[in-house]
Amino acid sequence: MFSYYLQLAAKSLKSTPITTLLMVLAIACGIGISMTALTLNHMTGTNPIPEKSSQLFAVQLQSSGKTSEWPTSDNVPFQIAYQDATNLMRVMPKYKHTAMYKTGFSVRTLEPKFAPLLRTARVTTRHFFSMFNVKFLYGAPWSEKVDENPTLQVVINQDLNNKLFGGGDNTGKEIFLDDKTYQIVGIIEPWHPKPKFYDLNNGSFQSTEQLFIPLVLSSTYELPSFGNNNGWKDERNNTFKDKLASEVLWLQYWAELPDAEAKEHFQQFLTGYVDEQKKLARFERDDARAVLRNVQQWLDYNEVVGDDSYVLVAVSFMFLTVCLVNSIGLLLAKFLRSAPSVGVRRALGASKGQVFSQHLVEVGLLGLIGGLLGLVFAYLGLTLLKNNFAGFDFVATMDMVMFLSAPVIAICATVLAGVYPAWRVCNTLPSIYLKTQ
Amino acid sequence: MLVMSGINKVYQTEQVQTHALREFNLSVAEGEFVAVTGPSGSGKTTFLNIAGLLENISSGDYQLDGQSIVGLSDRELSRLRNEKIGFIFQGFNLIPDLNLYENVDVPLRYRGFSNKERKQKIEHALETVGLSARMKHLPSQLSGGQQQRVAIARALAGEPKFLLADEPTGNLDSLMAKQVMELLENINKQGTTIVMVTHDPELARRAQRNIQIVDGQLCDFTIYQGGTVNNDTDKNAVA
Ligand SMILES: Nc1ncnc2c1ncn2[C@@H]1O[C@H](COP(=O)(O)OP(=O)(O)OP(=O)(O)O)[C@@H](O)[C@H]1O
Ligand SMILES: [Mg+2]
Repeated sequence: MFSYYLQLAAKSLKSTPITTLLMVLAIACGIGISMTALTLNHMTGTNPIPEKSSQLFAVQLQSSGKTSEWPTSDNVPFQIAYQDATNLMRVMPKYKHTAMYKTGFSVRTLEPKFAPLLRTARVTTRHFFSMFNVKFLYGAPWSEKVDENPTLQVVINQDLNNKLFGGGDNTGKEIFLDDKTYQIVGIIEPWHPKPKFYDLNNGSFQSTEQLFIPLVLSSTYELPSFGNNNGWKDERNNTFKDKLASEVLWLQYWAELPDAEAKEHFQQFLTGYVDEQKKLARFERDDARAVLRNVQQWLDYNEVVGDDSYVLVAVSFMFLTVCLVNSIGLLLAKFLRSAPSVGVRRALGASKGQVFSQHLVEVGLLGLIGGLLGLVFAYLGLTLLKNNFAGFDFVATMDMVMFLSAPVIAICATVLAGVYPAWRVCNTLPSIYLKTQ
Repeated sequence: MLVMSGINKVYQTEQVQTHALREFNLSVAEGEFVAVTGPSGSGKTTFLNIAGLLENISSGDYQLDGQSIVGLSDRELSRLRNEKIGFIFQGFNLIPDLNLYENVDVPLRYRGFSNKERKQKIEHALETVGLSARMKHLPSQLSGGQQQRVAIARALAGEPKFLLADEPTGNLDSLMAKQVMELLENINKQGTTIVMVTHDPELARRAQRNIQIVDGQLCDFTIYQGGTVNNDTDKNAVA
């Protein structure tokens, strides 16, 4: 019976092309817009590193002054001071943990005519790559020795490798970062965690850095931070050295703790460190403490999926509702116009239920067509976003879930919208339409 | 075959209450060809719609093929209608978007026949009315007489026991009307019971039995044209 209803539906939709077009367009617009909003929401809510989400922990220290206020829910600052970073990194070699921050350079090859490129860089240690599952196309991270003795080595990403050399294995070659030559030791594969969970400064959906250099170089070459510098203490920081010794909070700190035991162990170590700093009277607060948060907790804590994105979804679904209400009107008119034929079908033995199903199948088909067109609209909408707003590149990409859910949502929504018109038409008294033509 | 006893049908609109049928009794035997006449507005169509299970009754009892239809669900009524009753209307009422083949197919679809059975029945029905060459035509491409023949084919395709026709020749010229009448007579000869409403006394006279409805009631004025026909218009007659 379903295939019969489907045939009838196709015929019926073809017989009123204008009405059909209007309804399909209304549904497609509604679906297109709500899918665009849903995709943005879905992608911003996606876990950027699901395979390690519960093993990677952001480290926070309540190191600030007695009266300091932070915009976090527990009033703990989200970055740490350079001296704490270096202190922590020195111990607990059993686990991988590392400090990091963002800086930037003007980059060029040794070719004198090469026009310099401005690129952001991540200053960190070699652990960064294995902790965050960054894969190498060529070469490898710099060695452990390089993390201790300042050496001008750099890891770049594939994009930059293409820009500088047109691709290929260029490990061993040298490039200029500002006025110093660095040797390339590794080239990483494209890596774009969204959101950029390891450093949420300056926007959660920023692109990843294209260059990575050893953290030890920071003090030697006085590499400034391109992220936020949160000061709470009244200090005079005239030089970079002053800053390194200050209480300014500007580094991110992450630890990889494979299991609960490791986490417990590391937490104890941090607590010990905090107590020590309290004794030294560096940490002033009674509630001075260390906090570990895994990736999901970290994203929730930073409210990365902002309320705006839910508002957007809500508004777009309201729009979809308006589109559907419009379609209900059109459907009702169309169905009631076909009431004489329905009367004939009833006289020939169709039950109310069969007439109802027939019309719902028609509505479902309409929803399917509208949904597919809506998918095209959503794709266009996302492409438009991508092309016009930087930072949307990866967020505005539909994944399979979204791709499949669009037609399903469209069909469900239109069938819902079609229930009333179908119910109306199946309840009309057939005899009224049979008297004359 | 068809036994109606004490049937009342009241139409209630906001302003008026119309008693379309009152204390209506009729019994039609299997194989009969009954012509129904009566003044306009007397309740002929109402009677036919009730006989065809398209309208419910306000009170009384109606037995179709030995089964009382009082209290049946829409689904059961639709099924009975589909299996036992064929309809022919004054306005033909073919579905305009469907071609002849598909129009005849409609009752068979709801019957749940296989593709093969349906094809065979449709072709046979269209052949009976002499239109098998035009299966792919749309109703609008046919003359009125041809359309009515398709409607007859559609009513017959499922081999119902019972054919209800509401002024089937009302929209046709006399030649076409004669053809349609001959077709109905043939069908009746094969055993199908027919109840036909008509305004044409000449056509009515060709039926085995004539009844008249006046003001929602049966007037006993039966014409017999040979054959053996029960003389029963009272309620306790048995089909
Ligand atoms: N749906 C309805 N609602 C209200 N009144 C109705 C309805 N259908 C029929 N009637 C009334 O019932 C009475 C009988 O109508 P019916 O259609 O049965 O007459 P008829 O004998 O078929 O007339 P005609 O020969 O003109 O076709 C009429 O008075 C009519 O106004
Ligand atoms: Mg009538």
